[in-house]
Amino acid sequence: MSQNGSPETDPQDAGDGAAWSIVSYLLSGLIFWGGAGWLLDHWLGTKIFLLVGLVLGAAASLYLIWLRYGRQ
Amino acid sequence: MNVASGGFQPPSSADFVFSPFIGQSAYLTKPIALIFLSVLVISVFFFVAARKAAIVPSRLQFAGESVYAFVRNGLGRDIIGQDFARFVPFLFTLFTFILVNNIFGIVPFLQFPAMSRFGFPLVLALLTFVVFHAAAIKKKGFGPYLKEIMFMPGIPKFVYVILTPLELMTFFITRPVTLAVRLFANMFAGHLLLLVFILGGDHLLHGVIGLKFISPFAFAVGIALTFFEFLVQVLQAYIFTLLTALYIAGALADEH
Repeated sequence: MSQNGSPETDPQDAGDGAAWSIVSYLLSGLIFWGGAGWLLDHWLGTKIFLLVGLVLGAAASLYLIWLRYGRQ
Repeated sequence: MNVASGGFQPPSSADFVFSPFIGQSAYLTKPIALIFLSVLVISVFFFVAARKAAIVPSRLQFAGESVYAFVRNGLGRDIIGQDFARFVPFLFTLFTFILVNNIFGIVPFLQFPAMSRFGFPLVLALLTFVVFHAAAIKKKGFGPYLKEIMFMPGIPKFVYVILTPLELMTFFITRPVTLAVRLFANMFAGHLLLLVFILGGDHLLHGVIGLKFISPFAFAVGIALTFFEFLVQVLQAYIFTLLTALYIAGALADEH
């Protein structure tokens, strides 16, 4: 057995990984709330809710990412 | 463009569709043959590397152990922590399988990354999906696990209306989808890029005299991009495995 790995768990590794997994949170926010806004626009014949949804989704995603990875 | 041999046919998604080797069977195509070849290559390599295991390792044994130690320590132990051992075989298989198949994209005569056909990365992403959810459900039970995903502690109740759908969507839809699409898109785009410069260089070479002089530049860029592709291929295999390890780690972690 070769034992040439890093000795302790390196927090840097988790940080790098978090950067990659953030993408799926951002996408979820934009798609879900942006999609909800688009549907509302579609039904009501308005044009504002898609924008509202996208902004809300992006904000919610960032908040969620901060909750998951930032706060500790 | 009006060159001797007619217009240049730019490479397209049609270059990723292969006709079967024999008859009409849709199963015996180049990507599938490459998948089987990769399994053979990996098996033989690690079998030979491990066969004469010695205290003072041969060069081959050292190479094999380095790859194994990299996945075991760098991706398994450092990320999953404590309970990592039972996931190492999965991570190791995933990493070597994707790595070898990606590198096939720049191996002369093979020159096709099977992961640029969406079905392959999709199945791998679904495997990861099943593994990390199953690990969590086994450890925490279905109800508590779902509750942990849906209701993050320490935030006001009305915020859940906004955040809970996002958590559910992230865990059950975007995670496997982004995992599969990231690998697929990188391999697809990389292969297409190489096709553009190599086929383009070849086309220029057969063009009029002025174009012949440009041809070497196209080939030079093609060769430079081949080295670049190698980096991307290794990186994508690493990222896929890294994210799998992270998802497993998240699934096993206790509630914050």
